[in-house]
Amino acid sequence: MFRLLAGRFFASLGTLFFVGLVLFALTRAGPGSPARIVLGADATADQIAQFEQIHGLDRPFLEQYITWLVDVLGGDFGKSFVTGRDVAGEIAGALPVTLSIVLFAFIIALVVGIGIGILAALRPGGPFASVTRLSVVLGLSIPAFWLGIVLIRFVAVELRWLPPGGYAPLSAGLAAHLQTIAMPAVSLAVYYIAVLARMTQASLQEALRGDYVRTARAMGLSSPRIVFYALLNALPPVINLAALSFGYMFGWALIIEQVFNIPGLSRALLNAISQRDFLLLQGIVFLFTAIFVLANLGADLVNRVLDPRQRSAA
Amino acid sequence: MKRLAQLARSADWTGWLGAAIVVVMIGAAISASWVAPYDPVAISIEHRLSAPGAEHWLGTDQAGRDVLSRIIHGARASLAVGIGAVIIGALLGVSAGLFAAYKGGLGDQITMRIVDGIASIPLLVWAIAIVGVLGVGPVSIGSLQLPNEVKIVTLVGCLFSPVFARVTYAVAKRIVGADYVKARYLQGASHWQIVIGEVLPNCLSPIIVQATLLVAIGIVIEASISFVGLGVQPPQASWGTMLSDARNALYSGEWWLPVFPGLAISVTVIGFNLLGDAVRDLFDPRSEARTLVA
Repeated sequence: MFRLLAGRFFASLGTLFFVGLVLFALTRAGPGSPARIVLGADATADQIAQFEQIHGLDRPFLEQYITWLVDVLGGDFGKSFVTGRDVAGEIAGALPVTLSIVLFAFIIALVVGIGIGILAALRPGGPFASVTRLSVVLGLSIPAFWLGIVLIRFVAVELRWLPPGGYAPLSAGLAAHLQTIAMPAVSLAVYYIAVLARMTQASLQEALRGDYVRTARAMGLSSPRIVFYALLNALPPVINLAALSFGYMFGWALIIEQVFNIPGLSRALLNAISQRDFLLLQGIVFLFTAIFVLANLGADLVNRVLDPRQRSAA
Repeated sequence: MKRLAQLARSADWTGWLGAAIVVVMIGAAISASWVAPYDPVAISIEHRLSAPGAEHWLGTDQAGRDVLSRIIHGARASLAVGIGAVIIGALLGVSAGLFAAYKGGLGDQITMRIVDGIASIPLLVWAIAIVGVLGVGPVSIGSLQLPNEVKIVTLVGCLFSPVFARVTYAVAKRIVGADYVKARYLQGASHWQIVIGEVLPNCLSPIIVQATLLVAIGIVIEASISFVGLGVQPPQASWGTMLSDARNALYSGEWWLPVFPGLAISVTVIGFNLLGDAVRDLFDPRSEARTLVA
């Protein structure tokens, strides 16, 4: 078991190494070298050579990448060529904002999605199951950022229940914090509520058809206990999907932050793009990729640990 | 043809609804120049922000442009990106899957590890970052000028390819090992004849199912990237940029600006999702609920 976990972990690190290399190459594929961008169009060749030497840009490509990667793993994302600020500091300032929205949305998606899925699975063919089926199609089809815009229009502007945008950190009080992240988190969660509800429903229905459920019924076990046991068997694919969803939510959070004008990683990323700040861009995208790879790893491990068939197959 | 007749009988009404939506949207996109009542980029100050009515069915925006015409033209960008990305993803992914499954051994290992690597790239973040780095200008290949969307189509297509590679590989691996394929080989059939004639046809149904569902995701991705200003460039119409413009109207009364472009996206996505689910129920009823790619 331990060997399997370690193997998976190192495979993920290897993936991250190569994907990071592609990222590193692509961020340099744009028009204009970093030196040219920082020093301006009328910099002399000498000035550019000097700049490149100071920042190690004259080193071989692979060496630059590995130096950067080793620093990043040690928590040092470098100093921005453009603003002179510490990239790790910029990320540390913006990450909690994004993380807070994603975590809140993730909890909503888990609780509501799995809850709806269980209720729908208990009465297949019933009215609740039909409503769920319809809601799932809607939930999968409404773009999160549009939902956000509509929520601002009707909940914030019309009803004045919540502020239309902006962000209050947790230090400003829990109520203020929740007020600012409620609408972004709900917009972000809806798609994943639908995804998880559908998976829970399908998986639990399948489990409830199992022979052991019939045996348990025949032995006179109470209905809630039977559902509980069936649920234990139904959950692994749901948890697997939830772990994957967590990775994907970060990507959509970028768009949602734009809708609600929230100063998270999205703003940092778009600033990095508009100022051609390579190190900041690389740092943020690498962080997202690492989170995503870890979420995939988690999903994979959950599958293998919770499902004995896959454990032996590995 | 037999399959089609089966489809006609067995698909329930939601599948037909989906097919109808898809046909209408593709029709609108192709014939946008003839169907749209107004020029989508024609500015008309005296008609700015008029509410939906007889003259402008879905109203006009801040520059007096007709919302309905912009939505019809916006369908072009959306569907072109959604369908284009799926075609690129399918070509890359299916070839990779067939190659790995048929070749076996080291080629198999290497190909599928590359597929795993591509699958571990978060699509939206990379799309935003790479388009951001390359800039939103047109792409010129020789004398040919292609719009910015080409970058998005290519990128999203590449990142869709693992889905196709994996479904193709799973089926192809089974077929390659089957006795009748070995028999064909002994009959002297070439590699191409076996891969194209025997293996590929068996993989088609899961590929078609995934393709339909992925178009829906591609459409939302195009809208999202255009929404943050890195996709379709103004004044050209796109659903994402229309929603971005609509943010300026959130505090005044023009509800039609945020509502209609969003409805256009949702209805189109519902169409592809319903069609995809119906096709899956028909071809591949035991398969997983859905591959999560975004």
